[in-house]
Amino acid sequence: MLKIEDLSKSFGGLMAIHHLSLDVYEGEIVGLIGPNGSGKTTLFNLISGLLKPNSGRIVLSDRDITYLSSHNICRMGIARTFQLTKPFLQMTALENVMVGKAFGCTSTWNMKKVEEEAKRILEFIGLDEKSMWKASSLGVVERKRLELARALATKPKLLLLDEMMAGLTPTEVEESIMLVKKIRDSGVTLIVVEHVMEAILGLSDRIIVLNAGEKIAEGSPQDVVHNPKVIEAYLGEEAFTDFGS
Amino acid sequence: MLAQWKKSFIFGGFLALLVLLPLLTSRSDILTWTCLTFQYILLSQSWNILGGYAGQVNLGHAAFFGIGALTTRYVWLWGFPLPLALLLGSLIATVFAFFIGLPAFRLRGIYFVIGTLVLAEILRIIVDTRFPVASVLPAETLLTYSLVSRYYLSLLGAILAVFTVYFISHSRLGLGMRAIREDEDAAKTSGVGILQYKLSAFLISTFLAGFAGGIFAYYMVAVQPGYVFSPAWTFDSVVIVFVGGIGTIVGPIFGSVFFVILKQWLSLHLPGGLHLAVFGILFILVVLYIPDGFIELVRRFTKG
Repeated sequence: MLKIEDLSKSFGGLMAIHHLSLDVYEGEIVGLIGPNGSGKTTLFNLISGLLKPNSGRIVLSDRDITYLSSHNICRMGIARTFQLTKPFLQMTALENVMVGKAFGCTSTWNMKKVEEEAKRILEFIGLDEKSMWKASSLGVVERKRLELARALATKPKLLLLDEMMAGLTPTEVEESIMLVKKIRDSGVTLIVVEHVMEAILGLSDRIIVLNAGEKIAEGSPQDVVHNPKVIEAYLGEEAFTDFGS
Repeated sequence: MLAQWKKSFIFGGFLALLVLLPLLTSRSDILTWTCLTFQYILLSQSWNILGGYAGQVNLGHAAFFGIGALTTRYVWLWGFPLPLALLLGSLIATVFAFFIGLPAFRLRGIYFVIGTLVLAEILRIIVDTRFPVASVLPAETLLTYSLVSRYYLSLLGAILAVFTVYFISHSRLGLGMRAIREDEDAAKTSGVGILQYKLSAFLISTFLAGFAGGIFAYYMVAVQPGYVFSPAWTFDSVVIVFVGGIGTIVGPIFGSVFFVILKQWLSLHLPGGLHLAVFGILFILVVLYIPDGFIELVRRFTKG
């Protein structure tokens, strides 16, 4: 579904992504892990069009989307969440989701339909009681769910989740894992960036490991966890060594 | 708060009163002040569209007011029918906006604010130097000058402005504009075309500003061309919108009423242009302490 071909991105002298190539297949959940600064969020920014690469291509279902503008990439079926949530603060939760519905893949001017569908999605996510609350009065966890709802409202084929689980309690992590699986079952392909290891190992069909902008490992969760290169990259990173064996 | 039908009833009743006012009184001062209030509602609502809903602070608003004013004035005085003159005034202002908007919106944040102000000032200086002589209505037109017709035209302008803002706030346009105001990156990745929506807000805003200028040009007996490009038109609009309630439908209406009343009262009691200082201080206080304007204050009180 998604092909990253020899992608490179540098900021000044710093190589954030270095000749990276990877594939994502339809229907799978790909876990994307790597130490801090390995380029995961930069990759998401490149895929969603917020950044343009120095070289290389990004291809979605045989269409080159490398230099498309973000809103067109969204219309083509790619949605994302942000590591530090970016809600539309002065708008209600319902309006936040309505933006996704009104401007996403099923872009429409019919505000009634938009509102109904947005309500449905908020119910699915579990935020319907607070639909008329301003996003600014929502807590961090609720804002993450709202961001997910807004992304889902665009009816994506590919959903990029950037550290959805950070700061969640174990119960909340469990719920989120079930939610993500439900989303995949509804026909969405996912790339999930996470530091919470139980989540990544529990969710991913396949894991890709980045370090310093390069892919250092790829495979099933079990293979990756025991890969010496991966363990070395994470040396000193608490989250990984906790789960090392 | 109030049931929908009660709101509509009050609104309708009030509107009827405004329509009937020239029949109920012949006092030219009341009609003049109300007429000016309507014009301020039109001008401030037009700024509200780009500044309040889309969140883009355009400090060059006076440029479009001025372009609309001069275009309408000259086309009308050359003998063309007034409706055509007004339409041309609004359209030319919008065309200008289109060509200014394309490069201007590439400027981020504060640079857009300064850039628009600079452009408007350049335009004012050019007009002031090339057309220093005031345009005065010819004798025949002066004899048939009717305040009442100008009153109704201004009322029409105000109604048009309010309905435009109402429509925007309930449509996909408004949703997109507000998303851009809140967070451009999040709006982008949710499918909102940034340049497209900023430009749309800009064009609607400047069309109405040009219309306001045109109405003003028709209203004034004598107009010095540079005057309609004065930054005071921009800043009056900004003060009205912020004091009344930025990004709301009703805010600029209350703001305009408040502004006109206060301005009249102050200019009677304070020397020279000191009333401008009062507005400056008021603006600062509002932005610091009640950034959502008086409308929000009222809402909070009535919610209890």
